[in-house]
Amino acid sequence: MEITYTEAVILYCLKQLKGERTIFSLYHLYQGKKSSQTIQDAHLYHLTPFFQAFPFISREELARQIERMEKKSLLDKKSNEHFILTSTGDLKLGEYFQANTLPPKYLDGWRHHHLTALFWERLSILVQVCSNLVYQKKSFIPIQNKLETLDWVKAFIKKRQEGRMGLSSTLFLELLNCFQRDKTIDPSILVLRLTGQDRIGLTSGQAAELLGMDHTRYQLEFLNILHFLIGTVSDEAVEFPLLNALIPEAEKPVPFTLSTEKTFQLLNRGYTVEQISRIRNLKRSTIEDHIVEIALHIKNFDLAAYVPKDKEKRILEAAKETSAKKLKLIREYAEDASYFEIRLVLARNGDQKWK
Amino acid sequence: MKAKGEKRAVALNSFLSPDQKKQVLRSLHEYKFIFISPEMLGVHSVLERLSEMNISLLAVDEAHCISQWGFDFRPDYLKLGHFRSLLGNPLTLALTATATEEVRADIVKCLGLEKIHEFIYSVDRPEISISVEEAGYQEKQKRVLELAASLQGPGIIYFSSKKMAEQIAAMLRGKGERAMAYHGGLEQENRILIQQQFINGQLNIVCATSAFGMGINKENIRYVIHYHMPLQLESYLQEIGRAGRDGSESIAILLYSAGDEQLSFQLAEGELPDQFQIERLFSSAEEKSISMSEIKQHEELFTGYCGFTETQWRFSADFIESRSKEAFSIIQKKMGNYVTERLQMKKTKIFEMLQYIQHQGCKRSFILNYFGEPSSSRPQKCCSNCQLNNEQYFYKKEPVPAAGPTYYDWKKELASILRQVSETDEKEQIQ
Ligand SMILES: [Zn+2]
Ligand SMILES: [Zn+2]
Repeated sequence: MEITYTEAVILYCLKQLKGERTIFSLYHLYQGKKSSQTIQDAHLYHLTPFFQAFPFISREELARQIERMEKKSLLDKKSNEHFILTSTGDLKLGEYFQANTLPPKYLDGWRHHHLTALFWERLSILVQVCSNLVYQKKSFIPIQNKLETLDWVKAFIKKRQEGRMGLSSTLFLELLNCFQRDKTIDPSILVLRLTGQDRIGLTSGQAAELLGMDHTRYQLEFLNILHFLIGTVSDEAVEFPLLNALIPEAEKPVPFTLSTEKTFQLLNRGYTVEQISRIRNLKRSTIEDHIVEIALHIKNFDLAAYVPKDKEKRILEAAKETSAKKLKLIREYAEDASYFEIRLVLARNGDQKWK
Repeated sequence: MKAKGEKRAVALNSFLSPDQKKQVLRSLHEYKFIFISPEMLGVHSVLERLSEMNISLLAVDEAHCISQWGFDFRPDYLKLGHFRSLLGNPLTLALTATATEEVRADIVKCLGLEKIHEFIYSVDRPEISISVEEAGYQEKQKRVLELAASLQGPGIIYFSSKKMAEQIAAMLRGKGERAMAYHGGLEQENRILIQQQFINGQLNIVCATSAFGMGINKENIRYVIHYHMPLQLESYLQEIGRAGRDGSESIAILLYSAGDEQLSFQLAEGELPDQFQIERLFSSAEEKSISMSEIKQHEELFTGYCGFTETQWRFSADFIESRSKEAFSIIQKKMGNYVTERLQMKKTKIFEMLQYIQHQGCKRSFILNYFGEPSSSRPQKCCSNCQLNNEQYFYKKEPVPAAGPTYYDWKKELASILRQVSETDEKEQIQ
């Protein structure tokens, strides 16, 4: 009896967990839940590649799969929701490793999860738009329907100077060069999913079927290619200027705490401080802390929405006046400024001037 | 519309983020066509902005949704009357494909229309032959596979259950058909892909739930099969009406097994909360002193506590929210009555559907009669009760060769998508 790819993945992960975590922590890992518990576990048990590897999996599906594996004596139930590998399970996994690599070489969910979906959306719509441009077809139904993505591609094409033929050939050559960097990856896995002017891309299920691949394996291999592309084009921006431009500056990894990152994403989507505090069920002051943290790290983060320009100026003058970062003293000079506003302005303008 | 080249069209719906909404609202006057989804009719900023503008035509699509008699009554549509008066009662065009007399009267009343012209086109589609077949519960599956294998495609097979749609699609693929399932449980990206593949001719059969079809314009659909009976004649007509848009002869086949209506009753009941759930909802809200206006903020609590499905929850929350100024006990009572009434209506609809299935006379006449139309002259291949004794006429004219496994050359493929010359092509040219 051979084990399936799905079984191999689960055996691998459960082996790493050593029965010290429940199967629900596995579920959270696959889903990419951004809780400190899940993130710590991913690092502690060296499972970071699998972070958000199966974002659409359901709790029930995973539980059923594990139950089946228990019945096949691949797993042993240690206690409620804690499972360890049986000797058969361990043996089968060992056999599996002799013929296969797991996890796929470039799979790095923790590093790339927040860019993966975005990168794919942009790449696939860009290819479709380019294809219709070069074949001079005016009307088509976009394969991605998020407004942000469509706005992005419109703006992107407008910004490029090389004309429709030039854009297509740059895109083609960069993809070709990038794919040829590593012969172990099979670009068909991704190309089958692309939509052009006269053909609609395949769904992941269809592509897996056509390649004769187990669906779970296909999903990981697809992520593997995306992570390979994202990694390569961000490390070698000079080689791949076009593909690199699919990854926006603001989306590149930032050294935020998770909670701040979440606030940052909401701010980017236009939510106000009040709305975010309501949505996230956090105190206003907490959200304000996040904003100060963001202002510290992101140089072009616009403060105008939080501090009127003239007030910012007065706060800065007050800071110079007192030549200290003492909030209380500054406040005596700029009476109408809140502590939040003062902290924000100081964060933005760096403390070096006043140190 | 944008796909057809009209750039001055914009959509206002709940998928917009606050930023996008602001941006769209600011530039609203630059557009010629504004598409607005019903739930946006309750958004103050949208109403305010629109009332400042000079709207020359208000078009209401699927207008039957405004009527409580209609089979897919949507409470949001009731706001349209107020919306229209806010716009200064502009010229209004109400469109619906399936409306009985009752529904039409309701549309006029709810929209506050005064001088009206009714343009009634016959619901009859003479190019579609109609067939109802009884099959035992076990035989049905065999029969649908047989039909799909012999009928000239492209075709749609409708199911009431996602699982069944998936199963049959997989079986058809196993037999070499280019078939996929389509239902509300799919990821957004896959939905778009499957729909576009079907339109583009890459798929020959879609095994679908009623989620499929809205807004799809494919002219050459040759057959529509129903594996389960629809919940009402109106949606049946809408679904089979997707066949033969090019005017060529097509066929609609409904497969019925005795007892199928039980599934229909279950589905109808599942769309609304039952009396027990309503009771629990109100008693737990009272216990936790949650006011009626903030009901939507406690989705998880109530869903868990009352065992709501998503549809049940959405209905309950909307119902309560729109009446949150009234007293607690009154809302509860109204909701109870409303649910009883709706359920009764849905059951009536199912019985009518059943009557249609069991009707011994001409099926086409039954449908026309239902929509208050006089029977017209019957087309030659009318229905299964008018000597359409077999569907062979609709069989494939020539067998389609099954696509064998072909070697996939990604370089060539990518080059062709982007209109570039690939190395493989170069080699071929040299040879
Ligand atoms: Zn992240
Ligand atoms: Zn007839």
